[in-house]
Amino acid sequence: MPSLSYLVARLLQIIPTFLLVMIFIFLLVRLLPGDPAIAMAEAKATDAQLEQIRHNLGLDQPLPVQFLVFVKNTLTGELGRSIMLKAPVTEIILARLPTTIFLALYSVVLAIFLAGPLAFLAASRVNTPVDVAIRGVFQLGLSMPVFYIGLLLLTVLAAQLRWFPVGGYGKTFLANLYHLILPALSVALYTSAIILRNLRASLIEVLDADYVQFARAKGLSPRIIMTRHVLRNALVSTVTLLGLSIGNLMSGTLVTETVFAIPGVGRLMLEAIFARDYPLIQGLTLTFAVLVSVVFLLTDVVQSWLDPRLRQS
Amino acid sequence: MKRILPIMLGATLGLLAATSAFAIERGGAMTFARYDDSTVIDPVYADRNPDLWMVNGLYETLLRNGPDGSIVPGLAETHEVSADGKTITMALRTGLKFSDGSDLTGADVVFSLDRARNPELGPWAGLLGAVDKVTADGNKITVSLKNPDPTIISILATFNTGIMPKAAFEKAAGATDQEKARAFFAAGPVTSGPFVMKSHVQGSSMSFERNPNYWRQGEDGKPLPYLDRVEFLVIPDDATRILKLQAGEVDAAEFIPFARVGELGADPNLKMELFPSTRIVYAPINTREAKKDGSKNPLADIKVRQALNYATDKNVLIKLVTFDTGKPMTSLMSAATQLHYGPEPLYPYDPEKAKQLLADAGLSGGFEVKLTTLAGSADDATLFTALQQMWAPLGVNLKVEQVDNPTRGEKNRAGDFDIHTYGWANDVNDPAQVTGWLGYYKQRQAVGTGWNNQEFNTLFEASNVETDPAKRKDEYKRMQEIYAAEAPLLFLFETPFAVAVSKSIEGYVQTPLGANDFSEAWRAD
Repeated sequence: MPSLSYLVARLLQIIPTFLLVMIFIFLLVRLLPGDPAIAMAEAKATDAQLEQIRHNLGLDQPLPVQFLVFVKNTLTGELGRSIMLKAPVTEIILARLPTTIFLALYSVVLAIFLAGPLAFLAASRVNTPVDVAIRGVFQLGLSMPVFYIGLLLLTVLAAQLRWFPVGGYGKTFLANLYHLILPALSVALYTSAIILRNLRASLIEVLDADYVQFARAKGLSPRIIMTRHVLRNALVSTVTLLGLSIGNLMSGTLVTETVFAIPGVGRLMLEAIFARDYPLIQGLTLTFAVLVSVVFLLTDVVQSWLDPRLRQS
Repeated sequence: MKRILPIMLGATLGLLAATSAFAIERGGAMTFARYDDSTVIDPVYADRNPDLWMVNGLYETLLRNGPDGSIVPGLAETHEVSADGKTITMALRTGLKFSDGSDLTGADVVFSLDRARNPELGPWAGLLGAVDKVTADGNKITVSLKNPDPTIISILATFNTGIMPKAAFEKAAGATDQEKARAFFAAGPVTSGPFVMKSHVQGSSMSFERNPNYWRQGEDGKPLPYLDRVEFLVIPDDATRILKLQAGEVDAAEFIPFARVGELGADPNLKMELFPSTRIVYAPINTREAKKDGSKNPLADIKVRQALNYATDKNVLIKLVTFDTGKPMTSLMSAATQLHYGPEPLYPYDPEKAKQLLADAGLSGGFEVKLTTLAGSADDATLFTALQQMWAPLGVNLKVEQVDNPTRGEKNRAGDFDIHTYGWANDVNDPAQVTGWLGYYKQRQAVGTGWNNQEFNTLFEASNVETDPAKRKDEYKRMQEIYAAEAPLLFLFETPFAVAVSKSIEGYVQTPLGANDFSEAWRAD
């Protein structure tokens, strides 16, 4: 396992990342044309009313003052009140976050179960019709946008065959497994296509490597060769890719959650942007930053476990 | 004949009502798929359509908007305006109760109206700006005005004056009104309307249950509503919302894109409802002498604005964008608005006249115009392509600029546009709101166009204190004539509210103001 000092060093590296994210997001949302007052009043308010709304929201304060308030609040764990939903940002995000995390994990698990075995199959039969077929199908998954795959699955499997509900969210764990299978699947199809390509390529490379040849010559059982030599080496780059694609997946939820009517943080982000809900956008961006940092940290930890050479640096 | 017709109509309607009374079934639930969720359904704080279109489900007003657009009694059995137009007296019905069984009294009315007109609270306080004092003496409610206000009766039928329970609200936790409102609604609020809110999961679902103490009677002589429950699901994506309906998982889906109206209308399990609305789609024209960048603005010339209106084939746009569900505009306001005046569609398609007008303005050589549209809106994209083709023969080179909604709002306020797309639906059953918004310079520079017409402004100010309905009607007629002739807008079309409803549901209505009315809905299966 990686040493404690390694973990601490990695955690310390996250702090400047967060600071940068905070500054960027604070400035970026304010650079967008239009402001919460205009978005909120649906154009019906007079200029004087708008000024009143801006004053109530503290938007008439100079930017540095607003930034200091933001930093101070964030450090104390207080992310302000959502303008659009009129409730504390922390409360809103905590209510919606589990749904998104559930969906993300669900699709990653599905993606691994889809891509893993098939990559082995393809790699062990390179350039046979099986290999070509597997690659062909996943190429299709890669070339279709997630929302389109989603709508296709909804139309055929849900609306016509009625095997699954059309969108929405359940109340229990099992109900959620059932409700979220189509959105998880449409995200998983995309992610698994990426994993499959990568894993297949590294498997082929490793299977051909000298040390595997040597292990075979030594007369080790194929099972031991596979787990101890092939898999461990082939997985290094795939884990990196998986980590990166979970980061991507977070942005993918913006679309998936809208198409499938799932009340998660992805759709909330989209709504917050259209409402120019500064506190909510800021809170959500920080949440995404934390999530992505955690995923990357875990990726590094797994990698350094897989590949001891990485622990030295 | 003129007198007999209404009587015959009335008799027929009465007969229809009598026969259908036997058919109505009570009980059951309906599930309604919405495009967006409510946040706080407080009459005072509701500021987005998904909020304010739900208020009447929970809070009853003193007066109500009748099905034909006239004002009918609500919680107040009678209402009377004094000769000087400065005092409104109303008598509350006897035996009114809130959903928790407590009495609805004059104190609740005073509390609710005082809250509604407090400018420190919600965005609608201005509607009650003329109110000086609200008092209650037993069942008698008196609203005293600082000056006569012909809109006040309509405002007393508008969602923001819904009657809330004083005691229950004041008991809610919190120091400020905002905090109390939040706690009050989070706990499942005590209501005066047809329903109570049983649960609300933000962004996902909401549940309304029958208020057993609601005052209005159904056709079977028992209290409304007929349904025990209305379940709401939030499904923002149009395609998914429709799939959900087609799969039979919901009983109705709102905001059906017009492109799908024909398809859903042909579905044997569905009714495609196109409810008459006050919604208009129009495009403000920047009428200022100079554009934002300082260059000369050809659109400042009334002839050019008229020319563009004549060069626009509204019927083609109605076909392309609304799939023939829309109607051409006949005035600045929709035909469903009170005091509407518009004998015929404005600016019927006439390219020759348009050419002549441009020649008169000295612009036969052509010029460039920028249309600002909503990014991602299929309707706006169609609109742009069609206008570009219609105007090209005049030498008008139409360019497009795509922005999101808040950016468009910002550009409108800054006067940084040539022409941009816009939509509107009335919130109040009175023409003053839409007229002030579109035409009165001092309010919002006439929807940001910069159009400043003295005669129009004076008429508008006079009409807002006019106590004689006939005179007010004349003033409105004149204002609509001036506005039509001056063309500070590209007049496009009126659209209905498209809701697809399962054949097993009867009686659901979306009102011309957009409100979702489930009070008389019932299940027929």
